[in-house]
Amino acid sequence: MNHYALAYREQQQLFMFDKAWIFGTLFKVGGLAALLAQFIVQFFWNPTLALILTLLLLALSGYLLWVAVRGSRKDWRIIPLCLLPACFIGASLSDNSLHFDYLTAILLVETGLVIFKRVHSYRVLWGVILTIILYFTAGPAAILFALCVASRYRKKGFLPIAWFLLLIAVAAACGVAAFFLAVIPTWAAAFTPVFFYDLDATMPAIHWAPWIAILVVYLLTEAVIGTWADSTSPKRERTGKTILTGSLIIFLASLFYSGKIARNFDRKSQLTTYEYEYYTVNDRWDELIAACRHHEWTPGTANYLNLALAMKGQLTEDLFKYDQRGVTSLTFMSQGGNVDVRLAHIMFAMGNMAAAQDISFNILNSLTGYCPNMLKMNSQIELMRGNYTVADKYLSMLEKSLRYRKWAKDQRRFLWNDSAVEADPVLGTGRMDFPKEDGFAMFSNPLEELMRVVEANPSDKKAMEYALSFLLLAKDMDGLVRFVDRYWGAPALQQLPEAAQEALIFYSEYSRNIGSIEPISLEWCLYHGVTESTARRFQAFQQASLQNGGKSPSGYKGTFWNYLLYTEI
Amino acid sequence: MRTHTSFIFLIIAAISIMGCKGRMEISGKLEGQPEIFPDYRGVTVPDNIAPLDFDYSGNLTSRLIVNGKMLKPKKGGRFIFSKRQWKKWMKENILEMTVAIKENGIWKAYNPFIINVSHDRIDPWFSYRLIPPGYQGWQEMGIYQRNLESYSEKAILTNDLTGGNCMNCHTYLNGDPSKMVFHSRATFGGTVVVNEGEIEKLNTKTDSTISALVYPYWHPSGDLVAFSVNKTLQAFHNHDANRIEVYDEASDVVVYNVNTNEIFWSPLTKAEDRFETFPTFSPDGKWLYFCSAEAVAPMPDKYREARYGLYRIAFNAEDMSFGDSLECVYDAPADSASVSFPRISPDGRFLCFTRHGYGNFSIWHKDADLWMVDLSDGSVKPMENVNSDDVDSFHTWSSDGKWLVFSSRRDDGLYTKPYFTHIDANGNASKPFLLPQKDPKAYYKRLMKSYNLPAFTTDKVSVSKRKLTDVLRNSPGTDVKVK
Repeated sequence: MNHYALAYREQQQLFMFDKAWIFGTLFKVGGLAALLAQFIVQFFWNPTLALILTLLLLALSGYLLWVAVRGSRKDWRIIPLCLLPACFIGASLSDNSLHFDYLTAILLVETGLVIFKRVHSYRVLWGVILTIILYFTAGPAAILFALCVASRYRKKGFLPIAWFLLLIAVAAACGVAAFFLAVIPTWAAAFTPVFFYDLDATMPAIHWAPWIAILVVYLLTEAVIGTWADSTSPKRERTGKTILTGSLIIFLASLFYSGKIARNFDRKSQLTTYEYEYYTVNDRWDELIAACRHHEWTPGTANYLNLALAMKGQLTEDLFKYDQRGVTSLTFMSQGGNVDVRLAHIMFAMGNMAAAQDISFNILNSLTGYCPNMLKMNSQIELMRGNYTVADKYLSMLEKSLRYRKWAKDQRRFLWNDSAVEADPVLGTGRMDFPKEDGFAMFSNPLEELMRVVEANPSDKKAMEYALSFLLLAKDMDGLVRFVDRYWGAPALQQLPEAAQEALIFYSEYSRNIGSIEPISLEWCLYHGVTESTARRFQAFQQASLQNGGKSPSGYKGTFWNYLLYTEI
Repeated sequence: MRTHTSFIFLIIAAISIMGCKGRMEISGKLEGQPEIFPDYRGVTVPDNIAPLDFDYSGNLTSRLIVNGKMLKPKKGGRFIFSKRQWKKWMKENILEMTVAIKENGIWKAYNPFIINVSHDRIDPWFSYRLIPPGYQGWQEMGIYQRNLESYSEKAILTNDLTGGNCMNCHTYLNGDPSKMVFHSRATFGGTVVVNEGEIEKLNTKTDSTISALVYPYWHPSGDLVAFSVNKTLQAFHNHDANRIEVYDEASDVVVYNVNTNEIFWSPLTKAEDRFETFPTFSPDGKWLYFCSAEAVAPMPDKYREARYGLYRIAFNAEDMSFGDSLECVYDAPADSASVSFPRISPDGRFLCFTRHGYGNFSIWHKDADLWMVDLSDGSVKPMENVNSDDVDSFHTWSSDGKWLVFSSRRDDGLYTKPYFTHIDANGNASKPFLLPQKDPKAYYKRLMKSYNLPAFTTDKVSVSKRKLTDVLRNSPGTDVKVK
């Protein structure tokens, strides 16, 4: 179980303290389990808290199972055995396609088992009632309850079989009813853990393990407790020790095995994405930079790193201090681009608000709940657009959550207040970023759209830096010269970042030697923000290059020159 | 003067009514009418509609006086009408409503507003798709139906049963719930035809057509359905208030025979140099109306140049033949406009369509308005009482032609909601009213989906959700052939 993976779950839902929403969730098959899961997951915004809460719930699951199966409090030796299902649940929860209500449903079943244990009269009736209630509240996990209860019936003769069949029949009838009432899509979802898995995705068989483990514990502990109770002193003490040892061995073995299962689900690339997203949605840019440096280079990692640099206002300045491999380092268009949180954040930072809204709106509606961060982004863009009624709708939703209430309340001051929007650094800039000319978002290449943003709002520093970085990473020297010529002196380009200076001075030198391109003079460079110091450094770089036989000279690794001459894109 | 007199009368009435309880005395007057949501001021409603609960938008303590009876609001200013009382009121022709507020300890009344009650009953059910208004990403969507006489809503089919896919274009034969067609897309894709209890899944892509079947319309015989086939794309505007543009790169109109599973067409409905779409049969089945534009390319560069006019072609259902010429009903491009969604009243007298600046997907065009053609004399005019500053688009007639339901973004500019308007014998529309809800302000504020393709039905759609699901998930489907 990875704590960032748990935190990622928090961004897949929005728990709202709203009567209609709560009842809407509750009055579905498995509704109580889903509601409890969403209530708990809302606290997963802190990865450590997410891990602690999950471990506590797993411990509670073990405890409830122990209470359900024990003969008396003296049966403490079987506690490790009762933790066996919890190990497998923990492992299964490493698969983010398995919903968290898988765990809460099991907790409800175990609670049902504890209640049933305390019932001494009308047990058949209670068994039936609890099975039905559990099917409604915890979905097909009720079948697990029926199997556990039925498997422990002790009276001899015909009745036990009838009792067993009755409970199984009730549970099955609930599943059949749910199927025929079309509240559940498939037979598999009506009777198995598939119910808790992503819609119509193929569930790995390992997610059966917790259910099987609970049944095994139920049967095994009955036998174990019976043996211990039947044995007499001093044999009893030895039996107790054997039980404890066996119980511990099984627990440790299952812990080890479930750890292996969890690692299979914890694909490294996915885990790093969860980590990056956690830092991104919480605006923890320094930690994001550190994490990106720590992990292996991928286009996605580079995108997050550059996003963090842009948010800190250091993108062009620090660009070549890090490993960059072409323009995909800035925006990598994945296949599922229209539901990519990373891309939504990058487009937002670039000032391409239409693209950010298109992507974030699709993400918002593609999840089971509502992604809080994308809801925030959508409300901000609606404020920028002046669509205050829609922004009000989104803010009202966020206000009903614990975590985002304060932020949403604070944003209310912008509603129907154009001057407040325009004075706000984020919203005001965003409002000015919408291009003046007609066009579609995410239709041409990102640079073309970025240029429209810069043209509309030359005071957007992040957009300006992204545009410069695009040109530098593309090694598009002509484009860079035209860009600097057009925007030098604009509010967001009062100073030319060092990497851009390096590019211009390089171009000045080489354009004068190549006839086919229009040369730019040193004076032009100096007039457009290139400093004397950069010019001197370039001379030194040229000499060092020559001395180094055309290889990358040391001391220039973080320069545009090094990237231009020694990095293949 | 009349309003003023009735206002004084109301105040006196209110004082006398409240006087019995010794609680309330209206002694002041406020200018104008109160701000309420939904805006039911001056609307016309059918006498079988569910109670029109509404919220008074002000913050002060308020009371509502309806035909002399006083009501206290619920928390937040919501006025709720009991079903019994509402039914009683619906027997009258007019409801006069006065909102009074307590300002500085004094009760003051706004000018009253009226709700007209029409005794032309509305079809009791209507169905719609609920979908997030982005049309690209969704987790949940479905086709639902709502009883207009109560607040009861039932799902006809939701996509959690069919792999989270898209489903669209549900259409009925003049509101007959036993004759329905809709499309399901992606993994469990196909066109579903529900024909008096029989459910059939069709695979409608053929080698001779550019796409699977899209926008449907039933022939009155119930044996045929006209469809368009469209190569449709979608893009997101980078600054335009319209936000999304949906455009066709090509489109044609074909007719599907329910009994033989064959499609056929006329060269005039499938011309190379034109985009044909949104087919509609006349109620007598003798004409096929559709929208047609001169083909433009490349798309989307020229998307603003695609302008559709309204055309019709004679049709003979007996031998399945088309006429040999097109007749232009409304040359919208000549007015620098475009037409979509033609729908003819059941008596054949009026044709309601959506008119907008360009293109065919008017639901994203803020200038989209409803217009009406009087087919008896060919006159064309906007439905001024109905239209708003925002999108007013997709519409359907009730089975008796006295009511029209349409989608509008007038409330927030993004989430479409269904509005209903009464149409009189001369084709005049009343001020439309928003679909009533139990707690309308909270409901519509919470709603994260658009009401899409509203369509009346004379009764509840009773096809089994399970059967639909099973057909979509398990049936291989019947391949549609070309005649």
